[in-house]
Amino acid sequence: MTASRRLPLLLIPATLFLLVVYVWPSLGLFRNAFNEVGPTGAMVEAWSLETARTTFHDSFTFELTLNSLWLSAVATLIALCLAYPVSLFLFRTDSRFRGLLAVVAIMPMLVSGVVRVFGWLAILGDRGLVNTTLQSLGLISAPLKLVFNWTGVTIGLAESIMPYMILALLAGFGRLDRTLEEAARSLGASPFRTFRRVILPLSLPAIALAAGLGFVLSMSAYITPKLLGGGRVFVLATEIFEQATTNTNWPVAAVLAIYTLVLLLALLVVSNLVARRLQR
Amino acid sequence: MSYLELAGLQKRYGNSVAVDDVSLSVEQGEAVALLGPSGCGKTTTLRMLAGLIEPNRGTMTLDGSEITKLPAHKRNMGYVFQSYALFPHLSVGRNIAFGLEERGVSRGEIDKRVQEGLALVRLGGLEQRRPKELSGGQQQRVALARALVIQPSVLLLDESLSNLDAKLRDAMRHEIRSIQRTLGITTLFVTHDQVEALTMCDRIAVMHRGRIAQIGSAEDIYDRPATRFVAEFVGRANVLPLARDGQGRATVWEQLVPVEPAENADLFVRPQRMRIVPVSEPAGGDTARLTGRVLRSVFVGDHVEVLVEGAGGQLTVEMPSGSAAPAEGTEVAVVWPRSESRVFAREAS
Repeated sequence: MTASRRLPLLLIPATLFLLVVYVWPSLGLFRNAFNEVGPTGAMVEAWSLETARTTFHDSFTFELTLNSLWLSAVATLIALCLAYPVSLFLFRTDSRFRGLLAVVAIMPMLVSGVVRVFGWLAILGDRGLVNTTLQSLGLISAPLKLVFNWTGVTIGLAESIMPYMILALLAGFGRLDRTLEEAARSLGASPFRTFRRVILPLSLPAIALAAGLGFVLSMSAYITPKLLGGGRVFVLATEIFEQATTNTNWPVAAVLAIYTLVLLLALLVVSNLVARRLQR
Repeated sequence: MSYLELAGLQKRYGNSVAVDDVSLSVEQGEAVALLGPSGCGKTTTLRMLAGLIEPNRGTMTLDGSEITKLPAHKRNMGYVFQSYALFPHLSVGRNIAFGLEERGVSRGEIDKRVQEGLALVRLGGLEQRRPKELSGGQQQRVALARALVIQPSVLLLDESLSNLDAKLRDAMRHEIRSIQRTLGITTLFVTHDQVEALTMCDRIAVMHRGRIAQIGSAEDIYDRPATRFVAEFVGRANVLPLARDGQGRATVWEQLVPVEPAENADLFVRPQRMRIVPVSEPAGGDTARLTGRVLRSVFVGDHVEVLVEGAGGQLTVEMPSGSAAPAEGTEVAVVWPRSESRVFAREAS
């Protein structure tokens, strides 16, 4: 056997692992989606589309979808506005601390999601850093509602996806080149015009890539909407968890899970198409 | 005052000095080469002129007004980068139009000047292509056209031919030179290739360790090098160690040579200025002469290199091909006009 024909053997351990812990449970999920729920609330083995039909006729499913899409879009946009300048700085800097700064930028990834949420509660809560500061400055009389609502969830989500987006942007900045900026400057473009006509267009593929990733991560996030939402924020991920655990309604949870998966796949395909189009 | 004046330019990076006290005057329409090995400060000088880096000291004056502090985009310098730096997301036509668009030139005028630019570099009809669809030579021409259509005060070429293969480089050399002459555009050309410097420019500034070692015409630089570095860097030279005989006269290979005696110095003679004659031929009054034995002759196409060995060293004589090369092992005399001798001290190491 030649070396190149032996190469796929490297994939065997991971494939076996994923077959057992991912593919097999996923098949179980698909199977559950065709089951029904009896009048007692117990699951009834069946091969029907009845669960799917009722789920998609429920207006709440539609509301959850809009909530998820809107939350993800806003969180991604905020994170992008914050991550883009940071990535551009990291990509261009000649500082000898560049490596260290990059680690600092992605540090939040190293902290558990639950711990991060409690950090945000300490900062944004009624007696948190923001409210006490604003109150002692006399700018507000009653504390602002910054947690246990959409505001808190959006802030928390934007922060949690930022490191991933910074990494995606850095990976996508391949075509940016200092010499191109110098060429633009020498041809009469001011620093702003250089950004507008050279840097921004050349970083669009990176932006599409990072936005796609941030969006997918926001759509599938559970901890942040659950804990920072305080039970008032309903998105697809929290609903799936509720149906599966609190209601033990596995068929509905399975239908919603597959629906979310299809949404995400569609979004990934679109974001890849956009990125590839921009790359040309 | 000349059209372009550089006065006492200096650029430091930490403790190292990249450019040290460079002064240069360039007349309008003149082409000047900055020639030197890598790291001599020639590109740094060009980049300071374009406003891409700021000098630590010194001034730059263009057409009577000082531009030292002027930002790059207000200098109107046409810069052709070594890597061409074409915008990959724009078509050839849009690349060339870039500088005109930044100047707010009207659409119709832009189209007209882009077409003129394309015609100038003989790329008509390719304006819809993307840069990556072009060959290296074509990309080079686009970069040149892009820099020329803005009608720059000065054209700056940074090692612009070094990424092309030998044949294309030769063609582009003549093409750029003729465009430069036709437009009468003041040009600074950075290169490490002496042939480029000698053929493309009116004057050459040889740079060494951040300073200008010599500035002059191609003939000045080649025939009358001012320093040992220039003599070694430009063209080829026979470096013959000087010694003294009992009476204190200068000798090479224990034979008298008609130059001033000097300690720790070498005699430099260009191989093309030397001739091989039979030992029997007597020396003339104004020629220098060394005898030796022919080690070998190498045919190099347009000339023959004859390696001659004497007591204490070797030298090379370039003879025109077609002339009869002496057989190996023959005792010969090597003669050259006294005026072709240069003496340079050895550098303290």
